[in-house]
Formats: sequence, C-alpha cells, structure tokens
Amino acid sequence: MHILVVDDEHEFLELMMNRLQKRGFTVDVAPSGEQALERVEKERFDAMVLDVKMPGMDGIEVLRRVKQLRPQMPVLLLTGHASVEVAMTGVETGAVDYLLKPVPINDLIMRLRDIAARKE
Amino acid sequence: MSILDAVRELFRSDRKAEEAQRKEEEIRRAFKARCGHFRALLSANKRALSSMASLEEALSGERLFGMSFVRAKCTMIITSVFNMVRHLNALSGNRHTELFDRIRAVQQRVGNIVSPKNGAVSGPLVLPLGVVNYSLADEVGAKMAGLGEVGGKLWRHIPAGFVITASGYRRFIEAGHLQEEINRRVQMTDLSKLDAVFALSSSLQQLIIASPLPDDLASAILEHYRELERDHPGARLAVRSSAIGEDAHGASYAGQYRSDLNVTGDALLDTYKEVVASKYGVTAMTYRINRGILDDEVPMCVGCLQMVDAVSGGVAYSCDPLNREEGVIVNAVPGLPKAVVDGSAEVDVFRVEREAPRAILERRVARKRFRLESAPGGGVGRAAVDEAQGAAPALSDAQVLEVAEAALQFEEFYGLPQDVEWAFDLSGRLLILQSRPLPGMDDAAEAAPLPEGAELLLEGGVSASSGVGAGTVFVVRRDADMLRFPKGAVLVVEQAHARWAPILSRAAAVVSEYGGTAGHLASVAREYGVPTLFGVANATRTLQNGSVVTVDAASRRILAGRVEELLVLKTEPRLIFSDSPVYRTLANAVQYIVPLNLLDPESPEFAPANCRTLHDITRFSHEKAVEEMFRMDETLFEGRCGKQLKYKGSKLQYFVVNIENGFCKPVKGSFVELEDICCPLMHALWEGMLAIPWAGPVGATGRGFWALVAESAGNPDLEIARAPTRAWRNYFMVDREYCNLQASFGYHFCTIEAQAGDAEQENYVNFHFKGGAANLGRRMQRVQAIADVLAENGFIVEVREDALSARAEELLASEVLELLLILGYLIIHTRQMDAALGNDDSQAAFADMLRKGIAQVLKSGVGTE
Repeated sequence: MHILVVDDEHEFLELMMNRLQKRGFTVDVAPSGEQALERVEKERFDAMVLDVKMPGMDGIEVLRRVKQLRPQMPVLLLTGHASVEVAMTGVETGAVDYLLKPVPINDLIMRLRDIAARKE
Repeated sequence: MSILDAVRELFRSDRKAEEAQRKEEEIRRAFKARCGHFRALLSANKRALSSMASLEEALSGERLFGMSFVRAKCTMIITSVFNMVRHLNALSGNRHTELFDRIRAVQQRVGNIVSPKNGAVSGPLVLPLGVVNYSLADEVGAKMAGLGEVGGKLWRHIPAGFVITASGYRRFIEAGHLQEEINRRVQMTDLSKLDAVFALSSSLQQLIIASPLPDDLASAILEHYRELERDHPGARLAVRSSAIGEDAHGASYAGQYRSDLNVTGDALLDTYKEVVASKYGVTAMTYRINRGILDDEVPMCVGCLQMVDAVSGGVAYSCDPLNREEGVIVNAVPGLPKAVVDGSAEVDVFRVEREAPRAILERRVARKRFRLESAPGGGVGRAAVDEAQGAAPALSDAQVLEVAEAALQFEEFYGLPQDVEWAFDLSGRLLILQSRPLPGMDDAAEAAPLPEGAELLLEGGVSASSGVGAGTVFVVRRDADMLRFPKGAVLVVEQAHARWAPILSRAAAVVSEYGGTAGHLASVAREYGVPTLFGVANATRTLQNGSVVTVDAASRRILAGRVEELLVLKTEPRLIFSDSPVYRTLANAVQYIVPLNLLDPESPEFAPANCRTLHDITRFSHEKAVEEMFRMDETLFEGRCGKQLKYKGSKLQYFVVNIENGFCKPVKGSFVELEDICCPLMHALWEGMLAIPWAGPVGATGRGFWALVAESAGNPDLEIARAPTRAWRNYFMVDREYCNLQASFGYHFCTIEAQAGDAEQENYVNFHFKGGAANLGRRMQRVQAIADVLAENGFIVEVREDALSARAEELLASEVLELLLILGYLIIHTRQMDAALGNDDSQAAFADMLRKGIAQVLKSGVGTE
C-alpha cells in the first residue's frame, strides 16, 4: 500500500516513515501542502495522511484540492488540533476521518488497512 | 438456417452472455461496495460508542482529565457519527440526508461548549495602577485589583506602577496565533506522565518567549514605563503575575507563576514575555490539570511595580492558617520579603493579639544567615547577615504592630482572613505589595500521645498542613528526582520550594528542613490535604531513602514504620475535581452526546427529527443500516441478500450476508446451510460457540442448548428484555477471509470482526462486548474476568466501565482461527454470568471456569467438525 504522509514537522515525518515502512507500507512524505499537491498530481497513492495546521496552505485547503484532483483517493486527517468545528469541516470536505495525535501506530495502521480493504 | 444466420446467432448469444456477465460483474461490484459501506458504518459505530463510554467514565469523576481530553473525545465522536451517516446515505440512496442537519445542530452546541473561549481584546492594553480597583479585576487580575483597592480605598502606601492587562495578554497571544499552537501541543501530550509535562512546559514557554510582541502592545508598555521614569529615573520594577482567577479558588495559585524582581527598563519586554510564559510552568500546569481549570480562561495579567528598597519584609496572616493559635501571625526577614514566600530562609515569627490594645503575644526570632536585596545590575542577590544582626529581630515591636494592624484592616475590609505581603522601605514607610484571602484552614488537631512501641525518628518543625500520612521515604534534591517520585511516597526535601508542588498530589506526606507555613508549597499541601511538616532539622539525613515512616504533622513527629493507630486518624483528601470548570464543561457537553432518547425502532418517534443527541443519531443510523442490508432488492441482488442460517435442519435466529466469496456455491431462497458457507472464520467461531453446551441461564433447568439458542435469539421477551430493538438481528457477514458477527446474547451485545489471509500483517481479530442485566458493579466484574482471560490469550484489552474492547493483530491465519474459537466459546458462556457474580471470589471462580472451558475448546481443535 502506497501512502503519502504530509506534515510540516520533520520529526513526525521521519517517525511515520520508519514505522509504516517497517509494517510493510510504501511511504512517501511531503513537508508542505504545496509539495503534497505536486506529488498527487504526478503520482497515484492508495491513501494520504494529512496534517491540518501547516504554514502555507493549510490541510483543509489541501484536502479540497486533492478531492478535485483525485476524488477517489482516501485522505485521513491526522492532527494535534482538537476542534469539533474543524473536524466537521474536514469530514464534510471529504476526509475519511479526523484522527488526533498522538495516535497509536497500530490504530493508524488498522485505519489504513480498513481504508484499503473498503476502497472507499 | 443458413451458415450466415448461424454465425449471427452465435455472435448474438455471445453478446448476450457477455452482457449478462458484465451485468453480473456490475452487481457484484455494487454489492461489494454496499458491504464496504456497511462495514465502515459498523466500525464507525464502534468508535463512537467507545468514545462515549470513555466520556461516561470520565464523568464518574474518579480520574483527572483536561480540556484536551474532552475536546479530543468530542471531536472523535462527531467525526465517527458523521461517517456513520455518510455510509448510511451511501447504502440507502441518500434517504437520510436530514441526519446531516441533526449532526450539524449538535456539533454547534457541543462546539460552543468545548471550544476555547478567547475573550476579545476589549480594553486598554496597559492601565496605570493608580486607576485600578475591583471593578477592573477581569482586566488586571485579582492580585493587582486588590492592590489597587488597598491603595485607593484604604489609603495604604503601595508602589507606583502599571498593569499589562488581560486585553494586552490577548493581543499578544492573538498576534502570534499562539493559543491554537498551545492547544495543539497540549493535545499531543500524555498529561499523566510528569516527564511529558516537563517537556511540554519547556516547549510552550520557549514558544511564547520566542514570539515577538505586537508593536502596539510593546509601545504601550514602554510608554507607561517612561511615565514612571519621569518621577523615578532609572526605575527598577517588580514584574509580577496577576492571572485572572488566580485567587478565585483559594490562594494556592500564588507562587506558581513567575515574578521577577528588580527588572531594568531595557529588560522589561523580555521579562513580560517570561512571566506570561510562566503560565505554562510545570507547577502551574499540573495545578490547573489537577484542579480542572480551563487553560483558555486564565489570561495572564502582569503588574509592573516600582521596586521597593526593602529594609525588611515578609508575609502576615490576619489569623493563623492552621487555627492552632489565636492572633495575627507576622513572618519577617531582613531584606526583601521574597525569602519568606520562597520558603528558602529562616524566618522570624511574631504573634499579635487580634483585639485592641494589641500586644505581641509571642516572638520566635530565628538566626537569619542571609538577606535578599536588589543587585546593582538587576535581579536579586543574597547578602550575608552578620551574626549579631542575624540574631536580632527583623522588625521593631512598633513595626510588628503596624503590620498586624494593616492585616486586620484588610480582613475587615474584605470580610475574609488575609494573607498580606509587605515591606518597610529606607524611609521607614510600610508598603503593601499584595493582600489576598487566606487559603482554606484546617481544623486544629490535638497532638496525640505517642503510641506504644512506636519509634520516634524526628520531632519538631512546624505543621504546614495537618493530618497523618505514611509511606516510603523519597528524598528529592533535583527536578530529575521528581520524575522518579513513586506514588504514595513521603516527600523529603531540604527547602520547601514551590517547584516541588507538582508531585504533592502523589505524596503521602511532606517533610522539609527549611521553610515556613507561609510559602506556596504549604498552601498547596493544605489544599490537597497532604500532611506536611516543615523546618525539621536534619530530615534529609535522618530519613533514609526507601525506609517506611509515618508523619504525624499535627503532633510534629515522624515515626518509624507504619503506625496504624495514627493512620486511622488520616484525613480523607478533598475531592476537588468534580466541581471544577473542566468537569462542568464535560458534563455540559455530554448532555448533547450520550443520552439515548430513541429506544424503540417500531415507534413513530424513531425518526431523525427526534435525534437530539449524537447517541440518538448513532442508534438511528445503525438501525437503518441493518434494515437496508436485509431489505435489499432481491431481484437486483439476487442470492446475496441476508439469509437465515440453517444448521442440521433447524432454522436458527442467525442471518448471514455473503460479501463476495463467502458461499461455496450459489444459494437460492432465503436460507443457507452452514456447510454451504465457506468462510473458515465463521466456522471457527461457530465451533467455539457449540463446543461446550451452555449450562443455561443461572438457575435454569437443563434444557437443550439448541432450544436456548433458538429461544434467546428468537424470543425477545424471554431474555432480551432490555434489548434496544425487537428487530435486532444476530448476523454474520462473511467472505472467504473475513467474518463479522454482530450479536446480542442475553442482555449484552457483542461484535467480533476478523480477517485471516496469507498476509500475516493484515490479519486481525477485534472483539467488543458491552452491557448486561445486573448492576454496574457485577457487569464490571464480568467484563474484568473476561478481560483477564483474553489478555492471557494474547489480546490487547481495554475496559471502560462495563464495555470491553480487545484486539489482536499480525497473526497467522491459524492463530486467528484459534482466537475465534475462544471468542465463540466466551460469548456463549458469559451469558447472564453477571447475575451470578457478586464478590471477588466469584469473579476469580468465573475466570477459572472460562480458562478451563477455553483449554477444553482448544483441545478439540479447529476443523474437527
């Protein structure tokens, strides 16, 4: 399963890369929304894990554009920002779910596999 | 027929077959998509219910939680419920879009309750102290408002100065978008771990200090400073925190925030940021967490007071905080009063009669070794005090009486006992630096006689918080030691520093060598009801790390071992959390989330319009989704609709939905035989369910198992008295490598979901179990017994009240089947067992019975059928 992880925190990206690769995922990372969109235009991913609060283009805007480019690609929002309003906007914009950091890696993997199995 | 016709005919039938095949393929795909939506809905349902369970558990008030917990759970529930509604609409051809409006309505309510409340920047960013009084407490904080009153209404001398207001604070936070970032970082931290709180505290403080002050705020501050300088060139400042709500709950806040003394003009802006940052000091954060105080509702106002050249200073109480003695208590030191507040110095204590004519009833003059004074370059330094001066009282008798009189004046004015910080300047004027209500007072406890046979280790000191506590001695010398401080230990320190406060809630008792009852640590100790003894000489040397002692604070004794006679007197710690703002916020939000109003699916009330809570929406969506799955258009999804299970000729109250390859052959009609299902997972589960006949309901006769299975599922009145719906179906969704069982057995509900394929890392087993007919205590016992047994079999188990979730993953397919055998056995043999439980013994016996059963089931093995 080929996944794109988008987050402005370098350490988080590295952690995700290590842990997800260990569990059999192919992982690419992008440190900003803009770079994530470039990747999504060129390549196909099975799913995207997207931060919400990022400098530059924020996660919700990235999500909106990704949904235009690749309506079928499932996007999981993963953020430290616990807001009922933003979560609601996220799922209404088409995110599969809105997960809060820190998410146990096993939970994240389960969700990714669920997504893969369902091909939502 | 001509050859041509024959060829045409051949093509036509080819085309027909092709078309039929295409159509079949389309239906197959459409059906698979429906199953996908249904599965997704079920897992969202599970997530929503499990988060609701943790909110309910939090409401029991037995555990601390912060706003980040409340926000996280609410966010999780909203998104899960939204997902359920989305999948339900996908399943039903958008027949339930009204539910989106219901969610939005609830979301707005909940959002309003749990969202950070950042007040608007509504007033001046800076105010001169001269205009400050209580009517401005919301802008300047209680500490500065009180000081303004003392100066304005009571005609006492207070230092000149100004206050950077709550509006100023908000301007700063808003300009840097700091609150969102702060909440984000708090959200990501496990606040129950002290080392994580330390790391968080450091990162938040750095964040604030690194943020630039907006220009308008910086120039307003400097303008007021220049104003002050006109009368006092080169004025140095005491920069003091004055957080809103600081003194609202008792005075223990003081000392948690930073106050900097003798700050020069050029350092003022940086110092302001540092004081603001101290809102996220470890002591202050743990205090807010423990007290359930909302982070967003504590704006940090900062008072900037002209520095007093103190000849002497200290803290006075208008009455003894421990109620042991009659009179006003005056604590004094030579130099700045900071030494008293810190608890770092030896202090003179005077006791003065409350009634006029006031006499000094008692003088306890200590040997002062140093004094604190303003250093030339800024900041505060220690200066040695020579022996003669150190032995002399810090105040003259007249000064003692003057301070006592001021304290009583404030008590009368405020109508509450007061805690007053004061100083005498070079010209002999008494300046008031702060006056605030005295924190909660304990009832005096009589010194108990020494119990027979008890070994006295140490005696003396002052009791800062009465009561008796016992535990293992743990000497803390550095911050790093705090991280290793075991719960329930006796904290032994040299100085009664405020920085030890974060571990007080874990301490059985506190002992220090230096420090007085006026310090912050003493206030917090009283608040938590932790027995505390200060000023015990040689405590860190006499009390051995790891030895067990009993601290009797009221009698000022420390005894060896646990002295049970004294511990009987132990005061219960005060429960302070359930009345906190965080708790009330949760309780307020929960009313739109947890209550279930839609109970009967047959009733006309069972409609989206009546979904008042998220639980209602969850319930409604689940019900309608199940309906959709079983009411599928038989002509469109021929042979795929849910079929009733037949086993050895009997019709059972179980239904089976074939996702794709779960049946071995096309099955016509509305029944399916077990042997036509080729899902090894379901077979394993089934085998577990049948392996050992169930003894029957508690106290029931030995009716046959099949009769019971049929009855329990088929006759709701018999067993499922409290089942939420008469239309509840027990059903399996099967595929070759996947199985999902949703069932209600007796009074409880369970779901099992598992996958077993060649890719080990994708295999998993999930189990969820909730409910029962007995009272919560018994249901919890049952769940605990099941949890123990599951954990022994390799599950990761989580229990919240009477709900259990268990998970196992990265398994061989054969391991998955083995776990399903176990679960099959468990769901049958835990029926109604809650009613039979009652005490720990029966819980243990029940767990043992399950263990034996599992061993027997496993021995019979998979696939022996």
